[in-house]
Amino acid sequence: MAPLEKTDLLQGTLDLLILKVVALGPVHGYGIAQRIRQISSDVLQVQQGSLYPALHRLEKRGWIAADWGESENNRQARFYRLSAKGRKQLAAEEETWNRLSKAVALILRTAE
Amino acid sequence: MPSQDQSPRNTSDNIDREIAHHIETLTEANIAQGMSPEEARHQALVEFGGREQVKQSVREVHVSAIAESIAFHLKAALRFLRKSPSFTLAVILTLALGIGANSAVFSAIDAVVLRPLPFPNGDQLVRLDQHDIQGRDANRFVAPVRLEDWNRLNSTFQSISGYYLDDLSETSGPLPEKVTEILVAPRFLETLGISPALGRQFTPAEEHWGGPNAVLISYALWQRRFHGDPDAIGKELHIGSRRGDSFPIVGVMPASFQFPSRDADLWAPSAPDAPFAKRRDATWFTVIGRMKPNISIQQAQADLITVQNQLGKQYAKPDSELTVEATPLKEVIVGGVRSSLWLLYGSVSLLLLIACSNIAALLLARTTEREHEVSIRFSLGASRKAIVVQLLTEVFALAMIGSLVGLLVAAAAARGFHLLAKTLPRAEEISLNWRVAFYSLAAALGTTLLCGLFPALRGTRRGLAHTLAAGSRTQVSARNPLQWALVGVQVTLAVTLLIGAGLLLRSLQQIARVDPGFDPSHVLTFQISGSWGETADMKSLIQHVNRTLDSLRSLPGVVDAATADSLPGVAFLYPLEFKIDGKIEPGHPLLANSRYVSAGYVDTVQIPVLVGEACKPDSTISDILVNRAFVSKYMKSASPVGHVLSEAAYNDFAPKGIIRGIVGDAREQGLNTQPVPTVYSCFSAPIPFPNYLVRTAGDPMAMAETIRRRIHEIDPSRSVYAFAPLQQHLDDASTENRLRTTLLALFAATAVALACIGLYGTLSYLGRLRQREVGVRLALGAMRNQIVARFLAQGLRVAIIGCIAGVALGLALSHFLANMLYGITALDPITYASVVCLILFVAALASLIPAIRAASINPVQVLRDE
Repeated sequence: MAPLEKTDLLQGTLDLLILKVVALGPVHGYGIAQRIRQISSDVLQVQQGSLYPALHRLEKRGWIAADWGESENNRQARFYRLSAKGRKQLAAEEETWNRLSKAVALILRTAE
Repeated sequence: MPSQDQSPRNTSDNIDREIAHHIETLTEANIAQGMSPEEARHQALVEFGGREQVKQSVREVHVSAIAESIAFHLKAALRFLRKSPSFTLAVILTLALGIGANSAVFSAIDAVVLRPLPFPNGDQLVRLDQHDIQGRDANRFVAPVRLEDWNRLNSTFQSISGYYLDDLSETSGPLPEKVTEILVAPRFLETLGISPALGRQFTPAEEHWGGPNAVLISYALWQRRFHGDPDAIGKELHIGSRRGDSFPIVGVMPASFQFPSRDADLWAPSAPDAPFAKRRDATWFTVIGRMKPNISIQQAQADLITVQNQLGKQYAKPDSELTVEATPLKEVIVGGVRSSLWLLYGSVSLLLLIACSNIAALLLARTTEREHEVSIRFSLGASRKAIVVQLLTEVFALAMIGSLVGLLVAAAAARGFHLLAKTLPRAEEISLNWRVAFYSLAAALGTTLLCGLFPALRGTRRGLAHTLAAGSRTQVSARNPLQWALVGVQVTLAVTLLIGAGLLLRSLQQIARVDPGFDPSHVLTFQISGSWGETADMKSLIQHVNRTLDSLRSLPGVVDAATADSLPGVAFLYPLEFKIDGKIEPGHPLLANSRYVSAGYVDTVQIPVLVGEACKPDSTISDILVNRAFVSKYMKSASPVGHVLSEAAYNDFAPKGIIRGIVGDAREQGLNTQPVPTVYSCFSAPIPFPNYLVRTAGDPMAMAETIRRRIHEIDPSRSVYAFAPLQQHLDDASTENRLRTTLLALFAATAVALACIGLYGTLSYLGRLRQREVGVRLALGAMRNQIVARFLAQGLRVAIIGCIAGVALGLALSHFLANMLYGITALDPITYASVVCLILFVAALASLIPAIRAASINPVQVLRDE
């Protein structure tokens, strides 16, 4: 499957993806991009120009927190992890997403 | 948990490192796929994309939140203010005046009263006076030997020094120039903590008797005579007629050093070991001391009293009769004007409060008009906080502009203060500085909260959202009580200020009515230089002064001439205790002010001789005149002429005197002071540079040049200076009083104007708001004059309540003025009554116009519009 264009990502979806990936454990920016790509089998490719502003925005809202640590290649990297507030937010967004996608799927099915 | 690296610098650093890490990791991944290192890095960079763009958008995430909201609010505020220019201008002007006047007076208070003296650790400096224990002699000047004893024996001072002044003539130029020389005891500069800007201090040898001559010159003299040439050091000045005449300049003092007076030109040592300085009853020095750190002035004074008691055991006469008083040097310098300055500050603060409540009322009225806008915002989901912030930002923008304009006002005022240098100590230190700017900013902030917070909270109350639905018809306003309260506050404060101004004006009026007891018109005053050294040969000094007086009298246009130790009408109190015919009545001290005058004095200033005769050319110091106040207080039964008067104290400077005559009472202590019992000794040369008084036939100042030339003819080594009509000295003596009164009157007038505008504005607004109601009433047959009466009554009711509150506040505050009043008390009923009448009259006028306008509407028109 060809990767989706950046614009195809729904507004707010990137935040949800980031929260979900970060929920798996502390991870740096490069790792987040990689994981989204791997898990989506290369369908979703996050542009750095969106990734980093999104990370800092989430951090500012207090949903994720960041600390400097050592990465697998022995370099200093900024690791992000989910805060308690972020965990609630993730749950809420997942719920919203599921309802939304179910609704969209329902419409698509019924209208066939 | 938030990360620890949130400061902007850290953020920017973080982004850089984070991006670098990403690219490196990408590069490594590429290498692992088999690319060469260069290719791998290049590929990574391409894949990452616009690095700067990423950084910029991350940065925006951090900055935008705060900056955007400030910029947004300010922009919105300015847009809103531009839409109503007349409102904006009115508020800005009011605030500019309010904050400007407030900042100006603050700059004066800050420089004069709050800041320490311009000496290092100026708070350690005190003036030390000696006092006669029984109060028989007001002389506070200290003998050189005693000063040295104090300095040696105390344990609480770093050093003690002193000074006295000589008005001398400097003759190295083409014309003799009058210079004020400060003769200083050892350790003078050390005590003040000041060093010369150029050159050096005095050496110990120069401070001893018989040592080399040396002077330090003031910055002003250096500029005036040497045009700031550094080679002035080492040049010689020819001063007076002492010790070989010539004095090498050893240093130049900094421009800011003007101690003890602005006029100081030279500082020269006065040797404590001079043979003529040995007498313990000499009265020379004004003594200053620098206390050790962490010593209180009480401790220092107690210490010196102990020292003085020891000296009293050693030298029973005169030391056992003396005690010591310490006063902070700052108090000595600024104590006189402090209360005036605080009074002005209090007044401008009241004025600012009035301005604030005026603006608050305006804003409140606008808030009502903006209800619609506010409720739309609410329904669009804005939080109350956001709307309050928006409303406050508008006021703050106004206050900031007002405070900037106000700073210009303050800068102009600072220049004005400099012109008052004669009346206001430390005036030259007043400037527009960051402290004043900061104060002005704080005032703007305070004003914002004071004016804006209440209207903003009021205008955004929860229930307000309903007004959208309710429409604007039911607006017969429930907010009226608040508006009226604000008007009431304005009237109250205006009444208070007006009472203060009224009291000061009334006492000026009382002073103007007073008969001074002498005639200051057509009297010219001046001084001729001389040195205290000349007092060593008293006889020739007296002869010299008498010859000068004779020569002056022979000038055409001169009616009479005289000398005196002080000028009539200028505060000078020198009370001494006397005894009549050698008898002292215990418990009833005979205190009288002592003045020294030459023959011709009472004729020159036209004090009437009631009994006996005045000082004659051949009178001596043992010939005495007393005034009527003295006789009526102390010598009721006896016929005074012929009785012997002598000083009760140890001081034998003035020997026994015989009363030769009685003169009328004159207000020589100042026009605002009742005549006190006074003893005049006939003595033409009490000081080496006495005040000359010349009664002229025509304009006194027109004689100045003739007199200067005559003095130069008979004594070319002396300079003549300080020419001024006697009337001018009287005016100068009351400058502070007149200035304070003028300013307070100005503030009060502004306050009344503001209060009237408040009253007028509120009534007009109310008239508009109640148009429909008035229309209905008129349609139902109400008379127009009834409507006018209703509106008028509403305005007057507030004015009356304001008057009552204002009078109460005035009564409570008036005691601050008590010391500044003459001829009336602080509770003067006439003042209070006239203020109340004036305010009610003005309030009635201010209410009448909007009342008439409100009643003159056409009911048909109004009802149709509805």
